[in-house]
Amino acid sequence: MSNDEHPMFDDDRHGGAQEEEEEEQADEPMDDAPSKKSKPRQKGLEEEDEEEDEEEDEEDEEEDTGRKSKKRPKHRHKKRDALSRFLDIEAEVSEDEEEEEDEEEYGADNFITHGETDDVDDELTRRNHALLDSSRHFEEEDKSPEEIAKAVARRHRDRAVPYTGDMNEIPQRLLMPSVHDASLWQVRVKPGRERDIVFSLMRKAIDVEYTARPLNILSAFQRDSLPGMIYVEARSAKQVQQACLGLVGVYPSRGIQLVPIEEMASLLQIKKQEMTLTPGTWVRIRRGKYAGDLAQVVDLTENGEDIGLRLIPRIDMNPRDDAALDPAAKKRKKPTAGPGTMRPPQRLFNYEEILKVWGRKHVTKRNQSFVFQNDTYTDGFLEKDFKFNALIVDDVNPTLDEITQFTRRQDGGEDNVVNLSAIAEASRKAAIAVLQPGDHVEVFEGEQSGVHGVVDEINGDVVTLTAQGLDLDGQKMEIPARGVRKRFKPGDHVKVMAGTNTDETGLVVSVADNVVTFVSDMSMQEISVFSKDLREAAEVGTGSNTVGNYELYDLVQLDAQTVGVIFKIERDTFRVLDQNGQVRLVQPHQISMRRDSTRAIATDSEGHELRVNDNVKEVDGEGRKGRVLHTHQSFFAFLHNRDIAENGGVFVTRTRSLASLAPKSNVLKTAGADLSKMNPALIAPTGGMVGSGAMGRGPRDRHIGATVTVIKGPHKSYVGTIKDTNGQIARVELRTGNRIIMIDKEKLRRRLPNGKLEPLDQPLRIPNQMGPPTSNSYASAGSFGGRTPFNMGKTPNPYNVDGRTPAWNASSRTPNPYADGGRTPAWNATSRTPNPYATGDGSRTPVWTVHGRTPNPYATGANAGAPSTGGGWGGATPGRNAGWQTPARTAATSSTTTTTTTTSGWGAPADGWNTPGRPASSGWDTGSSWSAPTPAAAATPGVHLGQTPAAPTPAAVSQTPDGVWSLPIAHTAATPGVSASGYIPSRGSDEGVDPNWLFDPVLVNYLPRLKIIIKGTNTAQYLDGDYENRTGRILAAQENPAEFEQTARVRFDDDGEERSIIARYIIPQTASKILEDVLIIGGTHKGRAMVVRERPEHDDRDHNPLIVVGAKHEFSIENVPSKWVVPLGE
Amino acid sequence: MAAIPSQARSKTLRACLLCSVIQAPIDFKKNGCPNCEEVLQMKNSPDRIASCTTTQFDGVIAVVDPDNSWVARWQRTAKYVRGMYAVRVTGRIPEEVEDELTSRGIKYRPRDQNDQD
Repeated sequence: MSNDEHPMFDDDRHGGAQEEEEEEQADEPMDDAPSKKSKPRQKGLEEEDEEEDEEEDEEDEEEDTGRKSKKRPKHRHKKRDALSRFLDIEAEVSEDEEEEEDEEEYGADNFITHGETDDVDDELTRRNHALLDSSRHFEEEDKSPEEIAKAVARRHRDRAVPYTGDMNEIPQRLLMPSVHDASLWQVRVKPGRERDIVFSLMRKAIDVEYTARPLNILSAFQRDSLPGMIYVEARSAKQVQQACLGLVGVYPSRGIQLVPIEEMASLLQIKKQEMTLTPGTWVRIRRGKYAGDLAQVVDLTENGEDIGLRLIPRIDMNPRDDAALDPAAKKRKKPTAGPGTMRPPQRLFNYEEILKVWGRKHVTKRNQSFVFQNDTYTDGFLEKDFKFNALIVDDVNPTLDEITQFTRRQDGGEDNVVNLSAIAEASRKAAIAVLQPGDHVEVFEGEQSGVHGVVDEINGDVVTLTAQGLDLDGQKMEIPARGVRKRFKPGDHVKVMAGTNTDETGLVVSVADNVVTFVSDMSMQEISVFSKDLREAAEVGTGSNTVGNYELYDLVQLDAQTVGVIFKIERDTFRVLDQNGQVRLVQPHQISMRRDSTRAIATDSEGHELRVNDNVKEVDGEGRKGRVLHTHQSFFAFLHNRDIAENGGVFVTRTRSLASLAPKSNVLKTAGADLSKMNPALIAPTGGMVGSGAMGRGPRDRHIGATVTVIKGPHKSYVGTIKDTNGQIARVELRTGNRIIMIDKEKLRRRLPNGKLEPLDQPLRIPNQMGPPTSNSYASAGSFGGRTPFNMGKTPNPYNVDGRTPAWNASSRTPNPYADGGRTPAWNATSRTPNPYATGDGSRTPVWTVHGRTPNPYATGANAGAPSTGGGWGGATPGRNAGWQTPARTAATSSTTTTTTTTSGWGAPADGWNTPGRPASSGWDTGSSWSAPTPAAAATPGVHLGQTPAAPTPAAVSQTPDGVWSLPIAHTAATPGVSASGYIPSRGSDEGVDPNWLFDPVLVNYLPRLKIIIKGTNTAQYLDGDYENRTGRILAAQENPAEFEQTARVRFDDDGEERSIIARYIIPQTASKILEDVLIIGGTHKGRAMVVRERPEHDDRDHNPLIVVGAKHEFSIENVPSKWVVPLGE
Repeated sequence: MAAIPSQARSKTLRACLLCSVIQAPIDFKKNGCPNCEEVLQMKNSPDRIASCTTTQFDGVIAVVDPDNSWVARWQRTAKYVRGMYAVRVTGRIPEEVEDELTSRGIKYRPRDQNDQD
């Protein structure tokens, strides 16, 4: 290093004097300029003299080798610059600290100054000695020490060190770190704080320099390209740790890692790709009002910091108020122009407009430009200087649109032609990326310019292509990728791969350099795009079916009166067929909303309901067929048929002229069906209880929910439930395997609860006739499907049906529907019929009345029974409850019931009532008895409508006690006869719990959980009655041979005692809590674990009140006599 | 000793194109460049400051001990004062300064790291 410097130094020495003179001159004006400065300088000269004196002797001694060898150390303390005539003075003022610092800084180059000072001292000191000596003392005394110190400090600063280009001659490779150098340590810091931390380290190093514990780091640095870390140069990690101590944002705990010596240099060599800007380059503005806007570089300052840009102005043409016009208010206004405010649109500067809006005094004309709000506008463009940092120079990708804006000059000047080369330049990088083997390209640059061919291979930036045409045909050549562009010729069918026209396809009509113009297949408009964004493509298409929030075939509201269906989507417009059959071209913003017609119902020509997705055909006119896309106001239907070419197959017609292609059943045709759906009394209760959605909507097909058996095909004999139907195809959820299969309805048979099968389409009883009773009550139940479709499907058993009917809930949970019933249309309807219930309207206990009037034994029965059960049923109909209860009791015996009923002359077709006449005694177990409730039919809407004298349902109830169970469904809300109380009687004494219930195999799994109680031991003196009323759990129950007493092992709850107890004394505890887990030990649900949903108010076991229970994880409700309900423990 | 800018993040910080020292513009104006004032003469001369310094620099080095630091040596700032230096400075000094350096036999090395040997 020093070797290198010596020659340099020599050079300096020669030129030294010269330079010093220059320096002196340069210094002088600087020093003199402030008048203050002359003083210190004079003083300085004096001081120098003094020092000079002191040293004179020594200097003489060593004259030839630099006279001031002794002085040199002193000089070292000060700046030994070329003009160090004042050096000695400074020495006298002698601020030690500063000197020391100086020494550190300049110690290395003393020899240079040595030579220089020689001359200076000689010349200056002698010249000034005499002059200044005399005045020196005075002035010295005048000054305060502070002033002196200041003056000296200033002098120090003023000294310019000769620039020597230290170490410039050493090649960088020789500066590589060696093992003797300190190491670099990587320290994690908070991202974004790197620079602050480096600065903090520097300040800290200075602060603690002279303390007991100075920082031992040599340097620290940060690179912008290495976020989250800084590098500290130090001898050990400990020193780094120490240096970082107490700095916020440094994470030394994340490890201080040694940078391998070979990587040290590269850390300082990292270089981010820099884009150099030249006039004409396209850039984007990073932030502010023009954020994202394209701009063109007009000029650059030399250091590349300020860049003059030309861009399209965004002038606010609606200044908010007069205050905004007032320049004084500008400051106030600014903060309000936050991100929330709209930025003005891009618009070329128009002098007249600005004058109009802003007034004359805001715009001034200067040469060809206008000055407005401190910005210069030329040719309509804003010309403004931006900082380099405020620009985006990478990935600018200007679009053709943007660029053409720049060429569209107000005055139509010469620049009208698109500077394609500039654009090409801007998008060149991207162009390389979009090339693919097989692309047809042409070379537009370099020696091979003009050659075209097919790309074989792309290797980095080099494209290998097979030339075509001319004499080069077939030759392979390698061309830099930036020199080629895709080649298209008129007639090519192309597709746009990028940009705003993405996915547009069309035929090329012209090619100009790299701009290709094609006619869009969709809009038939000419579109110009860069060839780089194109590909040859055979496809024609719209690409997407969605623009904004709207999709193809959406029903959209265009204005208050008009709706339409989107039948075609173009790039950013829709073609919409409105309800008047007119086609409109609509922009997304013209659509006020999308409409949902999935729930809309309309009626077709036959009065069928018409829904979205129904397949229909026109009954008049052209007889077009189609699928209903939407209905509007129950009047217009938008249909779609792929076979119709016009309007994409969408056409509009009136719903009244449509007929369903798939014939619907008669049932739904009837007005009755529709009306019943509209009857709030019918719908309301259902809504509250079972998942209301399904109920409210009603079935599309009455088969939905039916329990069916597959009779053909691979699934033959499988049982399932119809979940959905579509024409002849039904989706059937199989009981087994939890699968849903699609199957032809032909292969299905309705499965009756008794296991019998019947064709699905067997005509159902029409509600408004009391219809010939079928042998099967379910058929009739089916007609209620509307209200309880899945009940039937899932549980083909009467209890279920009962249990799930809304009526149950309604009656037990809500104010008795019957009470309400009086107000429903149904009631009114019935009241119009010659139905005794009509009278019931007024009084809430029609039954009473009715019974009272008829010579019906039930009437009396009712009287008798009333007291016992009346409590169970809502205040509104206690009488009814009672009334039904009694007959039920007798029901087992009574076939007379039937007759009574009929004779009672309810007006119902007698046969309807007669048929069910099944012996009630058949009991719960016989399926046939369940079919009894034919009268249920009476409960159908027809009843409510009062179209028939169907009302006498109660008669039916009384007639067949078993039937009572099924009745409630039917009657849900409307018929008083449905009184739930009917059930109570129905359980005759013949229905008991099997004394050996404990040993029923279906209960085995639950045995240990059964909560039981010991009863009856007192009277039997069994075990002295000690265990009477003790509760416990069954440990084991084994059925013994018939001749032995049946026993079970019980553990008692209170003391944990275990012993065998005779089974007949073991009685289930009473389920008393809502949500209690229970096991059903009798009836159809035997063996099922359920949950108590609702408890009867009255839990007299002997009367077998009902407990409403539901399966644990389903929302279904069953009614089970409480004696069959055994609570389960954990 | 160079003036240590008080604001590390300030966008206005400038780096000397010749020696890469980073200072606030005000410090350049007051005291010039601590290393190359003799050549660049930026003191009290905003124009010179504008042409001889730049805000376009990347990486900041805190040179605590120039004499012993390898980083400083690598950056060829080992003979300069202590202070903040830029790792890389974009731009070149004005031509007349370059000429001046050449006439002194000093090779000018731009600090943009574009050519390294």
